[in-house]
Amino acid sequence: MNKIAITGLGIISPSGIDKRTFWSNVSHGRSAVEKIERFDASKYPSHIAGHVHELDAYSNVSSRLLKKIDLFSHMALVASELSLADAQIDLSKEDLKRVGIFMGNAIGGWLYAETELRDLYTEGREGVSPFMASAWFPAAPQGQISIHYGIKGFSKTVVSDRASSLMAIAYAARTIQDGKADLILAGGMEAPVTPYALLCCNTSGVLSRRNSQPKIAYSPFDKNRDGLAIAEGAGVLILEPQVLLAKTKKKIYANIIGYGSTTDGVDRISPSKDSLQLARAIAIALKDAQLEPKDIDYICADGAGTLLGDITETKAIKQVFGEYAYKIPVSAPKSVFGNMLGASGALDVATTVLAMEHSMVPPTINYQTPDPECDLDYCPNKAQSKEIKNALVINRGRGGINCVLALQKN
Amino acid sequence: MSTQNQTSIEEKLKSVLKKVLDINESEIVPAAKLDDSLGIDSTEMVEIVVVLKKELGIQLTDNELKKTHSFDEIAAILKSKI
Repeated sequence: MNKIAITGLGIISPSGIDKRTFWSNVSHGRSAVEKIERFDASKYPSHIAGHVHELDAYSNVSSRLLKKIDLFSHMALVASELSLADAQIDLSKEDLKRVGIFMGNAIGGWLYAETELRDLYTEGREGVSPFMASAWFPAAPQGQISIHYGIKGFSKTVVSDRASSLMAIAYAARTIQDGKADLILAGGMEAPVTPYALLCCNTSGVLSRRNSQPKIAYSPFDKNRDGLAIAEGAGVLILEPQVLLAKTKKKIYANIIGYGSTTDGVDRISPSKDSLQLARAIAIALKDAQLEPKDIDYICADGAGTLLGDITETKAIKQVFGEYAYKIPVSAPKSVFGNMLGASGALDVATTVLAMEHSMVPPTINYQTPDPECDLDYCPNKAQSKEIKNALVINRGRGGINCVLALQKN
Repeated sequence: MSTQNQTSIEEKLKSVLKKVLDINESEIVPAAKLDDSLGIDSTEMVEIVVVLKKELGIQLTDNELKKTHSFDEIAAILKSKI
């Protein structure tokens, strides 16, 4: 595919909101996973998560609007503002018919929905806020961003479990490549730290139950891993056609150069044990990027932290890269702040481009006991200094969704 | 109706608008259309109808209350319903 430039980053995460704080915490492996105390979650099998703490300090959203939207839209609006500022873009000077929004989200705005459903069953129909209809659904953040800036271009919300925002970013890049837009806000947002959303995440059976030790609970690729820790947050990237920026001095973090996606078609939760479709998605992304396996310097892994997730991801990488797989650092930096479900891909891409900028591979934290079936270089616990020109980001959704994005330093 | 009741309706309407729209009283211009002066949207109008019923016990229909109405016009409609 043509090169699509990433020119701005907006990060809302448990590891920090501005990109410098975020990178410092992630590269140093300072865990942000905590016990959930926002509500009584003590009876849930897993009651730990990464929480966003400083959103209000960065927010310019009016209190009048805040009453009408869920937390996931609030985070998306703040992340959008940060990303536009980072890219030094004033949208009032752009042709808004050529600007798009591509967002990924897995579960919707449940904080708003749960409260209103409670009121429905306790107070009746008139107890429900009329804003309920426009607050909870997965495309609500896209709508709020478009209203806030008056954006009129081709836009879309992708719901594809934990692969949602990576897929949204890939579709945004394709949309620019197809000439349908000149500028896209692409990424995702997730707010799963609510009673009902946490319950649903628990019933999926993929969450860590190491509640007494939240900071070391999420341990991808470690032999004793027992699942992921959820997190709330948002990531928005500014995408523009690289060819239009080539002669300008505008900062380009990295370029999106390839994408591959497949589905396992095997189980509603677990990935396929043979890894063949994830391997095929990696191969498709490499071919799309016109890269050979030996060109890849870093892989930002899905790092589900489940037995099958870690083993099948490792196996897929080995199927594609052969012996060279052992020479590529493969890390899951989301082990630091938690798994943002549908927003994971946006944060993974942001982390990877910051890794390129700093020439440093961020670590997989909480790695203590090697697993014979997971024998790659997971960059355990400490960042590695390394020049990264080409990288892959892998995200997987329940039910066998496989997405791989190829990135290249500008 | 007594003058006191009429004043009370206007004060209660102001209170509802402040609560629903999260605005200051100084932003309410009695003779101006609500969509012009306060940028009110159709969903906010629905919420205002709900809160007016809860707090004043007055049920308004969708056709009776419009965002093109002014504060004074809505106050008059409410008074006619008492």
